[in-house]
Amino acid sequence: MSDFELEMVVNGKSIRRRAKPHLRLLDFIRDELNLTGAKEGCGAGECGTCSVFVDGKLVKSCLMPVAKAQGAKVETIEGLTPHGNELTPVQKAFHKTGASQCGYCIPGMVMAATSALRENPGAGIEEIKERLGGNICRCTGYTKIFEAVEIARDVISGKLSIAALEPDGAGKSYIGNNVRRLDAPSKVSGRLRYAGDMVMPGMLHMQVLRSPHAHALIRSIDTSEAESLPGVACVITADDVPGEDGFGVFVHDQPIMARGRVRYVGEAVAAVTADDVITAARAVSLIKVEYEPVAAVFDAEEAMQNGAPVVHDYAPDNVVKHIPIRKGDIEQGFAEADLVVEQTYDTQAVEHAYLEPEAGIAYVDHDDVVTVVSPSQNITHHRHMLAKIIDKPINKVRFIMSPVGGGFGGKEDMIYQGMLALAAMKTGAPVRLVYTREESIISTAKRHPARITYKMGLRNDGRITAVSFRMICDGGAYGLSTEGVMRKAAILSCGPYNIPNVEIDVYGIYTHNTPSGAFRTFGAMQSQFATESHMDICAEKLGLDPFEIRRINMMQDGAVTHTQQVLGSVSMGRVLDAAEKACRWDSGPVGMRGQERNDLGGEGTRPPCTLGARIRKTGDDDHQEVA
Amino acid sequence: MLTCDEYHMPTTLAEALALLQAVPHGSRLVAGATDILPWAREGRAGDVNLPAMIDLSRIEELQGYEVAGGRVRLGANVVYQQFLTDKALRRHLPGMPYCSIWFADDQIREQATLAGNLVNASPAADGTPPMLAHNAELEIARLEGSDIKRRTISLADFVKGPGKTDLGPHEIVTAVICDSLDGYGGSFQKVGQRRSLVISSVCAAACIKMDKTGEVVEDIRLALGGVGPVPMRLDDIEKMLRGKQLTAELIARASAKPAERVASRTRRQYRRTVVKGFIEAAIHEALEDCGARVPGSAEREDAHV
Amino acid sequence: MMGRKVRGRGMAASWYGIARTATIDRAGAWAEIDDGGTGKIVTGVTEIGEGILTLLAQVAAEEIGIKPEDITIGDNDTARSPEAAHAGATRQTYMIGNSVALACRDARAKLDRELADHWEVEVDSIEAFDGEIWSKGSNLKMSMEEAVDICKKRGVVPVGSGSFTAHGTGLDPVDGSGSPWQAYVFGTQVAEVEVDTVTGEVQVLGIWAAHDVGRAINPRGVEGQIEGGVVQGLGQALMEDYQLENGHTKTHGFAKYILPTSLDIPEINTVIIEDPDPKSPLGAKGIGEPALVPTAPAIMNAIYDAVGVRMTSLPATPEKVLAALEAKAAAGQLEAAE
Repeated sequence: MSDFELEMVVNGKSIRRRAKPHLRLLDFIRDELNLTGAKEGCGAGECGTCSVFVDGKLVKSCLMPVAKAQGAKVETIEGLTPHGNELTPVQKAFHKTGASQCGYCIPGMVMAATSALRENPGAGIEEIKERLGGNICRCTGYTKIFEAVEIARDVISGKLSIAALEPDGAGKSYIGNNVRRLDAPSKVSGRLRYAGDMVMPGMLHMQVLRSPHAHALIRSIDTSEAESLPGVACVITADDVPGEDGFGVFVHDQPIMARGRVRYVGEAVAAVTADDVITAARAVSLIKVEYEPVAAVFDAEEAMQNGAPVVHDYAPDNVVKHIPIRKGDIEQGFAEADLVVEQTYDTQAVEHAYLEPEAGIAYVDHDDVVTVVSPSQNITHHRHMLAKIIDKPINKVRFIMSPVGGGFGGKEDMIYQGMLALAAMKTGAPVRLVYTREESIISTAKRHPARITYKMGLRNDGRITAVSFRMICDGGAYGLSTEGVMRKAAILSCGPYNIPNVEIDVYGIYTHNTPSGAFRTFGAMQSQFATESHMDICAEKLGLDPFEIRRINMMQDGAVTHTQQVLGSVSMGRVLDAAEKACRWDSGPVGMRGQERNDLGGEGTRPPCTLGARIRKTGDDDHQEVA
Repeated sequence: MLTCDEYHMPTTLAEALALLQAVPHGSRLVAGATDILPWAREGRAGDVNLPAMIDLSRIEELQGYEVAGGRVRLGANVVYQQFLTDKALRRHLPGMPYCSIWFADDQIREQATLAGNLVNASPAADGTPPMLAHNAELEIARLEGSDIKRRTISLADFVKGPGKTDLGPHEIVTAVICDSLDGYGGSFQKVGQRRSLVISSVCAAACIKMDKTGEVVEDIRLALGGVGPVPMRLDDIEKMLRGKQLTAELIARASAKPAERVASRTRRQYRRTVVKGFIEAAIHEALEDCGARVPGSAEREDAHV
Repeated sequence: MMGRKVRGRGMAASWYGIARTATIDRAGAWAEIDDGGTGKIVTGVTEIGEGILTLLAQVAAEEIGIKPEDITIGDNDTARSPEAAHAGATRQTYMIGNSVALACRDARAKLDRELADHWEVEVDSIEAFDGEIWSKGSNLKMSMEEAVDICKKRGVVPVGSGSFTAHGTGLDPVDGSGSPWQAYVFGTQVAEVEVDTVTGEVQVLGIWAAHDVGRAINPRGVEGQIEGGVVQGLGQALMEDYQLENGHTKTHGFAKYILPTSLDIPEINTVIIEDPDPKSPLGAKGIGEPALVPTAPAIMNAIYDAVGVRMTSLPATPEKVLAALEAKAAAGQLEAAE
């Protein structure tokens, strides 16, 4: 492979470097120039975190072979504020409005916003949204970003005073005050280093061999050829685990790497540590694993049947957890009902899609402390588990939480930190692993898909007399957070309503699918989706307004919950009133009322998106529509 | 991950053609490179090592466009963003602006070329239906000895199937040549799973010109994408409408016809249903685009009963 | 007869428990009122994007009597900081926020004791805010910087620690009875949608989200959590779908796993309801997770309102919505509309 002689001007500075021709511009600026503000969120041009200017045009640097930037002027997020100069109006506006949360998408978003206002300083909100359309944000819901870009536009044009970028005053208290985010300057400027941006002297790189089978026995693993590849420091497998191998939030059923058996496609089987990522990847391809595929089960309800393939020997019925809740007399409750409504609901598996793929660095320090730096959402528990796995006292295991580029529950699992620790122990060098987006998607937990069978009995006046609720969740191949998710789903399942008689059964089931785990709402989204859909179905049958049926049944101060807890203050009535009032709700029984409603559109809504704000014909071709 | 042994950046077509003959089998031409890099990843081609990549983006004679004799010659390096930013192009190619705004996003449009999109020959390629409507041809060059030989082929004949084209192993597409439809109204319909940066499930392009009365169709061009192995021009529907007084009833009848032609392997029923509405919507929006009257909605409802 | 694009509205309510479920939850923090009148906080959990660092700085600033920007929050490191457990379960504001408040109060008590002795006033008379400390009812006042200096010259480093507990109880294995949380929040969202009856595409044009969060420590931060939650809920409602075929994913990357973009999101109208928690120093509860619970059902209920089809299977993709519309038409349910 012959190197390429590259010359370009990066952030105003002339650069001359020899580089491999296959490098992408993103690799070049991050790895060769140590400009890590541009991130790799997906590597496929789908997220925008890597956006940079090349000759004044914003591009996705993961889609650009570095040779294309030969002779070009490149401007990265670092170039917007050279030498710690003052933040730009766009960056200040992001700071002001709280437009950065985890911050991982933010350098790309700031670049896209900067480009939008450079291309059209008078861009209206519709055009701004279109110009940000190639940048995904998973945290903010975009709303504060739009607000920031509009403020920046107006400050730049002089329509707004620069005072609009200043913080609000302290007032009499800092509680209840919109104090600007203290971490925002580091995020809007791209200065904050996430684990994948960190480098240590002598650092090695890890790549992981993953299972191509959903369920197979591992007959043998031959690592000899991989180990003999020049540049390879070590190969690790389950055999390298010195202690009690197993992690999980509730049940420690998952080995650091597959142990004798793989249970899902993408499960880690072995890992290589080498001088660079490409060598490590080549070595991974040289590992020979002899698999014996065995019967697998991919449906939770099938997995509950007798004779279904067993995922874990300790759970021959494939049940990770069953949470029952009983209150009152369910049969009597249905007998008292004037109306009984049954319906089945399905929810899908959902990916967390934090913009920061998993990444971490491990090293063994001067006091023999095994240290893992990673965006872990639970360093306390990870330390406990890793200490057992590597058979060390707790104070010889250290977890440092790096800035988390989005978690949503997905970084509660110790899915890769164990491999890093083992490799650091085996090599004595710092080892870094950065997942690709595809690796993150294939191997990490999802939101539990659920099937919910719902039966509700009601009186003609709208009062609920009984609910039978059965929810079966696909927990996938390992336990992770399934037990807790089932518990929360069950407790909250029937919603904030007084229901005298309930029968709730929630099951988390092992299958050979990608494991399910913790995900923002921990099962409550799935169960309450069913309840809230069901409330409307019942309201229609009873001729009730949706707010009305909920008020008839809502919990109030001192209510007794489905688990028979007595509540203190209950704000249910207040939130119903507030939502109804805020949206100017036009009351009426549930039905196909859209055609007749008088509350549609207007304040609080946006116009439907019809693309083309910048080219729409408005009589004058030069006039840019401002919606 | 995409790796390659050699990366070439020729500056002349002759140089590029010579390289193309010289590089080992399995080497690839790249223009914008926005599709090849995502292709070489897990879930698609996986890790790929190419013997050589020949980057066409620095070839002077592939840049820019010319308008002559009612035809527009778009150099192969014309990128999608130009159909939005270049006012002359917007006027001559009314089928392209809304197609472009739906195509990927601002960053990718700065890199991705129309010619590359056509050469990829994806059944869902956004650029193909409007280019079919513009009667596009591809200009293709190859080396014979030291002479550059050129041929042209209609886009309809060029695209043979998903990922399959008439392009020979030592050939390079040098231009897309299509009708200037100045004075036509254009429109583009697309549905995917969201509004930005999305692959079409179905797309439709229309270009329409009304006569002086504003009531009779002087010319109409309709094409569909995402509905089968190759995008299709709807000649028979055009024939039904050309020279006719445009009524809601006529549009509705015409729109109902192409559904049966949907031949996609997946989601066929969905696509059939959408196509019907899309033809109608594409005609309406193209009429609006050229300032013509859209046959009334009351009239249109009657036609459906 | 419906036009091509029709609108409708729907609503959904929700509830949620704060902090770990059906167990005792706990978190610890250390505080030091430092030289220069600054503050140093160490606790074992950090920012995952929700704004907790800023919130903790606000709490510490308020409790110590200095400015949020004068607070330094230490790295989150199991070898250097007290246990605060995990960043999840809508527990950060509630658990860590309160433990930081308690730690700061502990540190302030030490500072106040020295200062009261120095000024010869009652310790209860001492108040501080925004970098100044004074004795109420007197003209004794100084900067926090001076106060720390005096305290240290008297031989005392004003440090404190705090541990906050939330008393959840486990569930009975047979009937599930128990008190899983000591704090609950409630929320209601309304969605307005536009359904394209040609493509089945649903655009959400407006969301009104009213949520009880307890005391809102940073209202803008609360809005940010609600806006982000709503958009995740919208993603699950309409487009996101991790698909497997015999255990193999069909959605490897973001080209196939579809996330909401800037063009897919509604105007989000947040209404913050404050029903303070009586069992904790700050009165705050939380909002991280509950924000997305009612979004998907509100959208499904709005689709029904618009076009009369009940989507019981998520996500309601254009294809599924159109199939439901066709099934409804085939069932002759559109007769009445003629």
